[in-house]
Amino acid sequence: MISIRGVSLVYPNGVRALDNVSLEIGKGEFIFLVGHSGTGKSSLLRLLYREMAPSIGHITVDGIRVDRLARGRIPALRRRLGVVFQDYKLLSDKTVWENVAFALQVTGAHTRDVRRQVPRALDLVGLAHKSRMYPNELSGGEQQRTAIARALVNNPKLLLCDEPSGNLDPANTTEIMELLRRINLKGTTVVVATHNQAVVDRMRRRVVRLDNGRVITDEERGYYFLGLGQDQILSG
Amino acid sequence: MDWGRIRFFLGEVQRNFTRNAGMQITAIGTVAVTIVMLGIFLYARSALIHAESGVFSQIEISVYADPAATAAQETVIRTALAQDPRILSVSFIPKREGLAQMRRLMKGQIDTSLLTENPLPDKFRIRVREAQEVPAVARSIARLPHVQNVEYGREVVQRLLQLAAVMRPVGIAVIVLFLLVAGIIISNTIRLTVFARRREISIMQLVGATNMYIRMPFICEGLLAGIAGTAIAVGALALARASLVPKIASALPWLPMNTVAVDLSTLVLELFAVGAAVGALASWIAVGRYLRT
Repeated sequence: MISIRGVSLVYPNGVRALDNVSLEIGKGEFIFLVGHSGTGKSSLLRLLYREMAPSIGHITVDGIRVDRLARGRIPALRRRLGVVFQDYKLLSDKTVWENVAFALQVTGAHTRDVRRQVPRALDLVGLAHKSRMYPNELSGGEQQRTAIARALVNNPKLLLCDEPSGNLDPANTTEIMELLRRINLKGTTVVVATHNQAVVDRMRRRVVRLDNGRVITDEERGYYFLGLGQDQILSG
Repeated sequence: MDWGRIRFFLGEVQRNFTRNAGMQITAIGTVAVTIVMLGIFLYARSALIHAESGVFSQIEISVYADPAATAAQETVIRTALAQDPRILSVSFIPKREGLAQMRRLMKGQIDTSLLTENPLPDKFRIRVREAQEVPAVARSIARLPHVQNVEYGREVVQRLLQLAAVMRPVGIAVIVLFLLVAGIIISNTIRLTVFARRREISIMQLVGATNMYIRMPFICEGLLAGIAGTAIAVGALALARASLVPKIASALPWLPMNTVAVDLSTLVLELFAVGAAVGALASWIAVGRYLRT
């Protein structure tokens, strides 16, 4: 699904956000990107949805060479993946339904597709009954679920999440993670950048650890801290 | 047709348009002022251009005989004119014919039946070989006996046309300047809208809307401002034409205007095309700047 080879990203101000990163992510995987703030997790995600282009290196997402993608082709890439952020990025003057439908409408979808897809996405995130409410009438968890519905309404094969639980309390965080797990079970590849230790340790999925723009470890069924799960800390 | 899609699109345009109502009104007003000026310019040019072409071949001197002059005395004038080598042709218009001509010209405007006697003198119409010699010929004719008056009013016209030749580049410069100002104001208005909607735009980009799609509502917004401004301008121009043109024509009868020859529908179309183009172009530039960054 995703192939990253020898990627470095240097910002115009000289900061090296990513340093020779290589990573392969298979179809249907669930993967955490962990590390302190400013270690390059968000930068790596931005390269995947082509918010930025790498300074050097190859990136392929779902068969598309993202690192050398022409500007005019970016929309086609974005329609094949969904992105979720810490701050939800919802439009406050649109209802839940309209926010989700927006993603389809602005890509020129037919009304009948909008009418079919939006309820399906809202059902998936469990917000069908709140479709007429506005974002400021919802809890943080519900807003994030709306954002996830919007990311998924296109039926993408890849979901990128940048600190999806960053603004949420533990109960809502659990809810969102459970939703992401279910989405992953349906076959969508899910990449979650987070520094929420509890989330990572509970899910026991592949964990890629970044530090100073480098991949320092890559473990199947990993913990937030290197080789040292919470249970080990407690039992040890 | 997908009505839902059209309604969504129109909703976006309408939201843009109403968000900066104050700025929109400024933009529309500027377009209106610009288009009014352009309209006056094009109308005047169109009305004058038809008159101008004939002017040089039509320079002539009218010589009015003293009303008291006898037929013999008029023959003296005619002989003197015929002998002048600078004169190309002389035609004699007796006062009876002059009155008949006037009746035809003034038909419906002045009630000539009220005239109890013919107020017109006999007249000679003279064509001169060289246009530059007109003033000298006129002066020498004026010295002849029994000549009451010599006129060559076309000189005024000539001056006017010289003035027009100077005014044309100035007029074009002023209009270009105004179009530029209108464009900048529209562009700024659109940029405010773009700024107000930057969050929506970033989300549109995130979910894979094409730049073209993102641009369209803004282009339509600019187009609407341009068309609305032009509509106001055309309305104002139509009013002005109905009320002012006849007054100008009667106040300045020597002005060689041929208002019948002006193709009004083409003129209006031209104005709308300019208004719409300024609006669309300005917003294209405004959004383009934002999308590139």
